Amino acid sequence: MRYFLRRTLHAVFLLFGVSLLTFLFSALTPGNYFDEMRLNPQISPETIAALRAQYQLDRPLPIRYAHWLNAVAHGELGFSFAYNSPVAPLLWVRARNTLLLTVTATLFAWLLALPLGVWSAARFGQAPDRVVSWTTATLLVIPDLVLALGLLILAVRTGWFPTGGLVSVGYEEFSPLHKLRDLALHMALPVLALVLAALPMLVRHVRASVAEVFDAPFLRAALGHGIPHRKLLYGYALRAAANPLVSLFGFSLGTLLSGSLLVEVVMSWPGLGPLLLESILARDLYVVIGGVLLSMVFLVAGNLFADVLLYWTDPRIRTAASTK
Amino acid sequence: MSQRLKLTKWLVVLVVLHCIVVGAGFFAPYNPVEQDREHPYLPPMRVHLMDAQNHFHLRPFFHPLRLRTGSFDQYEEDTTSAVPLRFFTRGAAYRLLGLVPSRLHLFGSTDARIYLLGSDAYGRDQLSRILYGGQVSLLAGLLGAGVTLFLGALIGMAAGYFGGWRDELLMRVAELFLALPWLYLLFALRAFLPLAVSPIQAFLLVVAVIGMVGWARPARLVRGVVLSVKERDFVRAARGFGGSDIYLLRRHILPETASVLLTQAVILVPQFVLAEMTLSFLGLGVPEPMSSWGNLLASLQQYSVLVSYWWMYLPALAIVPFFLGYLGLASALQQRTSPYKIEEQSGWNPS
Amino acid sequence: MQPLLKVENLVKHYAAGRSARSKDKLAAVDGVSLSIRSGETLALVGESGSGKSTLAQCIACLEPPTSGSIWFEGIDVTALGENQQRLFRPQIQLVFQDPASSLNPRWTALEIVSEPFLVQRRFTKPDRVVRALQLLDHVAIPRKMAGRRPHELSGGQKQRLAIARALALEPKLIILDEALSALDCSVQAQISNLLLELQSSLGLTYLFITHDFAMAAHLADEIAVMERGRIVESGPAKKILSSPSHEVTRSLLAATPSFIETPSVLVHA
Repeated sequence: MRYFLRRTLHAVFLLFGVSLLTFLFSALTPGNYFDEMRLNPQISPETIAALRAQYQLDRPLPIRYAHWLNAVAHGELGFSFAYNSPVAPLLWVRARNTLLLTVTATLFAWLLALPLGVWSAARFGQAPDRVVSWTTATLLVIPDLVLALGLLILAVRTGWFPTGGLVSVGYEEFSPLHKLRDLALHMALPVLALVLAALPMLVRHVRASVAEVFDAPFLRAALGHGIPHRKLLYGYALRAAANPLVSLFGFSLGTLLSGSLLVEVVMSWPGLGPLLLESILARDLYVVIGGVLLSMVFLVAGNLFADVLLYWTDPRIRTAASTK
Repeated sequence: MSQRLKLTKWLVVLVVLHCIVVGAGFFAPYNPVEQDREHPYLPPMRVHLMDAQNHFHLRPFFHPLRLRTGSFDQYEEDTTSAVPLRFFTRGAAYRLLGLVPSRLHLFGSTDARIYLLGSDAYGRDQLSRILYGGQVSLLAGLLGAGVTLFLGALIGMAAGYFGGWRDELLMRVAELFLALPWLYLLFALRAFLPLAVSPIQAFLLVVAVIGMVGWARPARLVRGVVLSVKERDFVRAARGFGGSDIYLLRRHILPETASVLLTQAVILVPQFVLAEMTLSFLGLGVPEPMSSWGNLLASLQQYSVLVSYWWMYLPALAIVPFFLGYLGLASALQQRTSPYKIEEQSGWNPS
Repeated sequence: MQPLLKVENLVKHYAAGRSARSKDKLAAVDGVSLSIRSGETLALVGESGSGKSTLAQCIACLEPPTSGSIWFEGIDVTALGENQQRLFRPQIQLVFQDPASSLNPRWTALEIVSEPFLVQRRFTKPDRVVRALQLLDHVAIPRKMAGRRPHELSGGQKQRLAIARALALEPKLIILDEALSALDCSVQAQISNLLLELQSSLGLTYLFITHDFAMAAHLADEIAVMERGRIVESGPAKKILSSPSHEVTRSLLAATPSFIETPSVLVHA
């Protein structure tokens, strides 16, 4: 129990640190949203001054930070200058879209990586394993920007997939089945890009962890007991190799909001990524902080979850923690 | 293959690749800013040895492209004119390494322009732009890695050597930086700085930003080395002679960190080149008319380009052999030195 | 005549846990007092974990003691500031147990021996080389080995190199922290003879730390026995060896392989 408390406290500190850092960044910025507005002749200086006062931009930074902390404690994440709306609803919608993508991609990636990795480890050094190794090596060498752009061009030239957006025009009129198909088609390429980006590393890790376990005496003993091969692989070997993989899974969860930024921007998927980029460029402070914080919460929660999962599955950690 | 051989193989590959980019002036047929407004978005031209009458020519040649009759964006080869390709020709002036003036090019032709990889909206030769762009991107990556390693080594040594509250503080900050997704950090850092600057300033800004993002992992690794070395008896002995902290750090501890720093350098350079590409692609990096692999891809954000002009994607592929080379070298170095897996040390996370 | 080195009630605490605020402090050295007269050898005998090395580090001014004082030639070294202490350090040199870790594996023998000159910024570069070679002669290391790295030298040669390096700054006191323990028997004999030679020719004072009574007997004028951070018995070597009073002393003596001088001690533990 104390272990979790410590980790949670640690996580909270991290979040504080991040929010502080982002606030500090904004203090160092040579411009802000309203400087851009000043260049617009249609908006009078009085309006700008009134807006600034409204958003309390004239107050010193520590006070703004304190106000913001207070607001967050009440569930309010500030106001977006660019969208002229509270930040929170803006974030939720975009976060939902991002999660749609990343959860699907993570699921697919893990569902593919586990059997592939185990299969590859079982045939360590032989031809099938080498093919897998070679493929993962090739994929690793291709950065995700290159991959995403490549897939985009593919989409455009074959016309099989739409090239952006969440759904097609007229979505509301579609039948439920049609809606599903439409969404799936729009999601296909971004998900593919994310899966291809994450798969090689996952497969490598699974393969390495399982292969390490293969040499263990307890496995040989199990073999000697006549346990069928597949049960051996999945029931015993994978369980023992679970330790590093569980942490990895936790980290996968942690990057659910932040890992897809580039793919979303390239493929015009209306998720958190493009919103963040726009807001950074427009210096829409509260959106940026809110977005970064949200991603960080996921990251930190993911790490925490990884710790919890590990504690739960690996008896060694349990004994180590209890003797502390 | 023995480890030594593997190491040499990758080193050779990298050296060759870098030489090609450094010698962009020689390998590229044209000046990257030379425009030819008459020939925008030309597709890549083919080099032939056999002409339309099935005669074999010893000297390779190409057909200039002309617009297909009735179309304003479809091109076809003009087989009536066969322009020979000359090697080691005189062409546009350039300075090798910025110092040595020369006019020698690997290949070129005097009568018409050859676009081996097509042309862009202003009729500029893509091949030349990719080669010169490589100089900018690679330099950004190398310099960025230098900044990061310098920062990381400094902070890691300070934390590891002095220990105590300084160590705690620095490592907490490092943890913060490690936890933040690097892409976010990159964007935020870059975007919070002035956006409209000259190309040189933008380049330096990109290098600075990239450098400041990645220091946490090298710092942690260096700190680890320092912690273990600092307790070694030869360091104690040197203190016994009256060696000051700076002396100990400089002459005993720093050399031990060299291998860690080298491995980190090899892992970081391609990541930083990618970071520059990403920034420039999104308009936050190196601006026109300077070309970098990133801003060469920026035109792909327009739908029309995406549909009709597939060769504008080629600059993206330019980085792949470099990635291969650097990752191969890193892997070979790993096998030679520590038992840690490359995945652990690099934290290379495709997301 | 005042002793060269006088240690008074030295205490050194280490925090046991990771946090410095931990209440479990380990007293590595728990109130040690001793003194050594110039030109003599004091052997400090004790088992591993008795705090001998920690004591050595404190005396060599490498670790600050928690309390207590160290007097060297009548001056309280513990009361000096860091910079002044650095001036004193050359007078007290340390030779470590494991030459593999006390010599920088990337440096050549010549560089290792001349490092003290470099650090203290004495002599010009060519002068340093000359003096370094002379030091090698002193410890009977052939000059042609000067360009070799530690891993190319034998155990005995490495330790001789460490001794040569310790001599570079002409110290008055040399602390040998289990310096012979890692060597083969025959090599031990050679080096302990070398030490005796150097002591008489250069007028050195030794603090010889060991867990082996046989070695202590060979070299020491005085012996002090240490257990769990404290000195449990001390006195002239002959007396301790022939009639030990503390049980720790007796058990340590019993553990040493028999040798000619004190057969009577080994009968009863």
